[in-house]
Amino acid sequence: MNTLPFVDSATIEGELQRLWQETAETTTGGEAVTRALTLNLIARATDLAMAERISAVAGELVASHPNRTLLAICRPEEAPPRIEAWVQANCLLSGPGVPQVCGEQISIDARGPVTAQIASLILALLAPDLPVVLWLPGPAPFDDPLLTRLLGVIDRLIIDSRDLADPAGDLRRMAAFDRDPGTPPGGARRVTLSDLGWAALTPWRELTAQFFDTRPLLPHLRRLDQVEIGYVPAGERLNPMPGLLIAGWLAACLDWTPLEEAVSVEGATLRLHLRRPAVGVGPRAIRLVTIIIAPVGAPGAAPGLATLRLRALDGVSADFHVQRADEQGHILTSAEVAGHVPVRRLTRCVAPSLAELLAAELRLLSRDAMFSAALQTAARFTAGLESPGTSTGA
Amino acid sequence: MNDVVATPLENPLRAGLRLWRTPEPCIVVIFGASGDLTSRKLVPALYNLARERRLPGGFSVVGFARREWDDSTFRQVLLEAVNANSRAGPVEEALWASFAEGIFYHRASFDDPAGYARLAERLAAIDAARDTGGNRVFYLATPPEAYAEIVAQLGAHGLNRSPGGGWTRIIIEKPFGRDLESARDLNRRVLAVFDERQVYRIDHYLGKETVQNLLVFRFANGIFEPIWNRRYVDHAQITVAESLGVEDRGGYYDRAGALRDMIQNHLTQLLTLTAMEPPVAYDADAVRDEKVKVLRAIRPIAPEDVERITVRGQYGPGSVSGRPVRGYREERGVAPDSQTETYVALKLFVENWRWAGVPFYLRSGKALPRRVSEIAIQFRGAPTLLFADTPVNEIEPNVLAIRIQPDEGITLKFSSKVPGQAQIRPVTMDFRYGTSFGVASPEAYERLLLDCMLGDSTLFTRRDEVEASWALLTPILEGWAAGAPQDFPNYEAGAWGPAAADAFIARDGRAWRRL
Ligand SMILES: NC(=O)c1ccc[n+]([C@@H]2O[C@H](COP(=O)([O-])OP(=O)(O)OC[C@H]3O[C@@H](n4cnc5c(N)ncnc54)[C@H](OP(=O)(O)O)[C@@H]3O)[C@@H](O)[C@H]2O)c1
Repeated sequence: MNTLPFVDSATIEGELQRLWQETAETTTGGEAVTRALTLNLIARATDLAMAERISAVAGELVASHPNRTLLAICRPEEAPPRIEAWVQANCLLSGPGVPQVCGEQISIDARGPVTAQIASLILALLAPDLPVVLWLPGPAPFDDPLLTRLLGVIDRLIIDSRDLADPAGDLRRMAAFDRDPGTPPGGARRVTLSDLGWAALTPWRELTAQFFDTRPLLPHLRRLDQVEIGYVPAGERLNPMPGLLIAGWLAACLDWTPLEEAVSVEGATLRLHLRRPAVGVGPRAIRLVTIIIAPVGAPGAAPGLATLRLRALDGVSADFHVQRADEQGHILTSAEVAGHVPVRRLTRCVAPSLAELLAAELRLLSRDAMFSAALQTAARFTAGLESPGTSTGA
Repeated sequence: MNDVVATPLENPLRAGLRLWRTPEPCIVVIFGASGDLTSRKLVPALYNLARERRLPGGFSVVGFARREWDDSTFRQVLLEAVNANSRAGPVEEALWASFAEGIFYHRASFDDPAGYARLAERLAAIDAARDTGGNRVFYLATPPEAYAEIVAQLGAHGLNRSPGGGWTRIIIEKPFGRDLESARDLNRRVLAVFDERQVYRIDHYLGKETVQNLLVFRFANGIFEPIWNRRYVDHAQITVAESLGVEDRGGYYDRAGALRDMIQNHLTQLLTLTAMEPPVAYDADAVRDEKVKVLRAIRPIAPEDVERITVRGQYGPGSVSGRPVRGYREERGVAPDSQTETYVALKLFVENWRWAGVPFYLRSGKALPRRVSEIAIQFRGAPTLLFADTPVNEIEPNVLAIRIQPDEGITLKFSSKVPGQAQIRPVTMDFRYGTSFGVASPEAYERLLLDCMLGDSTLFTRRDEVEASWALLTPILEGWAAGAPQDFPNYEAGAWGPAAADAFIARDGRAWRRL
């Protein structure tokens, strides 16, 4: 991995070619190395530690999505101003007799004002005719100059809502981007927004949906009047984003509409007030639903959702609960409905790694309409609300 | 409502992409619960499904066999079986404990009516205790002789219909009949009790990802379909080779033979998927309609043609992978003068517009040098020889090979110039699932059990399909039975079948692929 003496796209391309030639020569045992590319992944790091994490993820991603990774390390505040680049192959470990599959990575490290040039270099280095995905980890993806510069060429923007600095504000910005990414005029491409934080919720949604795959329990879904969502905050920072997205998802699926005054805040607890559609007629037909989102503190617990409980309190009581059973990746589900025997079950649900989340997002060929709906609904909750929770840390 | 195929649930939380469907809570009743298949395949598959959150809470298993076990012995036996056979390795204790709460053992004999009456009570009690809503899958993992009896008893005790709006389905293992007459008879008996829509005849080959991928490969890629016909294809070879002998299944195998054990089901499936026309939709009936059409289009086999279009073999002592192997006639449960074939090769023609004149060669055998299943499409050669330095017969035709196992993947062989020399050499372009998608494929039984619980019968064999395949192959069995006894054994264990098989394909100016 040599740093190139000077950086232009032709030099880098030449270096890539040399890399593949070397790889072909040094691989002994007669097994060919297969270079495979299914997409361009542009990932931006703001420091070297983040760059390392991204490199590790890119290496893992080869298994499901062999790609050309363009790692842009953008450090405009640092000196001396310079651009460096290097190339490497990301190969999957293979067994005997199995050809090795490799993707490739071009890393570009820019410091000082020249950082502004990184976008043009990236444009020249995209592998032709393959989808272009921009991954912006970190707290402020929508303010990133790279996003503005590349908006016209990317097919997908991947962010992680769990990293965002200002949940209420950022939720609205995510929703706005999802509605209209602001692609320059003439751009035929529709940029799709993906959120790794949303992808991480899939097992929770799955386990919740499972309760209602049974005929006798399905009707209770229309009778819910209270939802309790507990999350483990990441360190000092309260980020109710997973809770808001789950709330948005439930509301979107079940046609719950936020009331005028949709949110109330008590300390670190958020209460959302919604109206659910009428079931039948009469004064009992119109019902309110309350969603409570609160941090739960188990010392040493991994951040993220910890408990999700759906309840019908009025009339026949029904209680559907998905909760962490331990910190080893087990989840307990239980359904307790008056007139039915309670059904409890333990299941496995290891929190997916970043690479797995990214792979799950890349597997989707089109927009995730459910994500859009959940996001738009969640953003409506926060209209007029100043950064829920952020001020009430520790 | 007492509908046999309940209307699908509209669960609003399932809207949108990426949430897998999970079946409604149900009870899987396994007949033959102390047998080999249950321990090796069925229960490990169910446990893995549960572990991956593909089964709902309340899901239950009832094992039916004669052995003097109770729930706790049965759970212990299955625990050991899953530990030994699961692709995910040993179980996690807490998960197993939760799964095992739903496992029960029902001791009875298949021919004992009282056993079924008690079974009905037991199932009702489980419905009440675990909220399984009357949904049942009966899985016949028993000796085939027992199928008719069990089905009749289920009918007599009203177990062919679910109480309270649930559904009831039945999975029947292979072999389904041993010739056309017995298959028809079994179908009649089964369909006297169950509706065809309740019946799932399993062929685990269809549960393999690569087999399903055959359809995706053919119909989702625009470049292959235009050349997938008689204008471009010279012939096809479908091979299912096993390196094992009959192991401890000699008694069963000696009454079956390779044609019944492999060709009638697995190879016929591969043939129909390779040759079928695009279905109008990817649903159970559209796909199976097209498969049946292929079987009906195959030139019927006249008794006098049998010897000409087939080759039979039986292995004698030899060695496979460096280990000595005894001959078939020395295996336990096998007659010392057995005439049962352990190898078959045959040639079939699909007489429709797409395939007229293109031979499909099928071969399958035991104690062959290695375990490999593949479909190879050999294309016609290039029309003229442009490259004078290379003799004609050195340019190999293009071959597209679809490997089913092991190491699933697709290779395309084509000719290329050797750099710097005037030589043309075949090179292969290789695509392997294992490396291109670094994700383990689920076991065939996992997929098929789940499909059945979800009510999707696309990957199961329909009544007319199983009968059409027996109608095609039964004349071969009859022709063989009427012909002179064979001079068996005629191949050494560890060889690629009898010499006659090579001569058989060489007569057409072709050769078997070296695998
Ligand atoms: N094994 C495989 O790998 C495999 C693969 C594909 C298909 N299959 C098919 O699957 C089926 C089962 O095969 P297998 O190998 O599992 O058979 P197996 O090991 O011989 O098991 C037979 C089972 O049936 C039970 N049984 C037999 N007669 C009974 C009776 N009168 N009453 C109650 N239970 C009775 C036995 O239990 P008790 O002895 O306790 O009564 C045992 O549990 C066969 O149709 C076979 O062709 C098997």
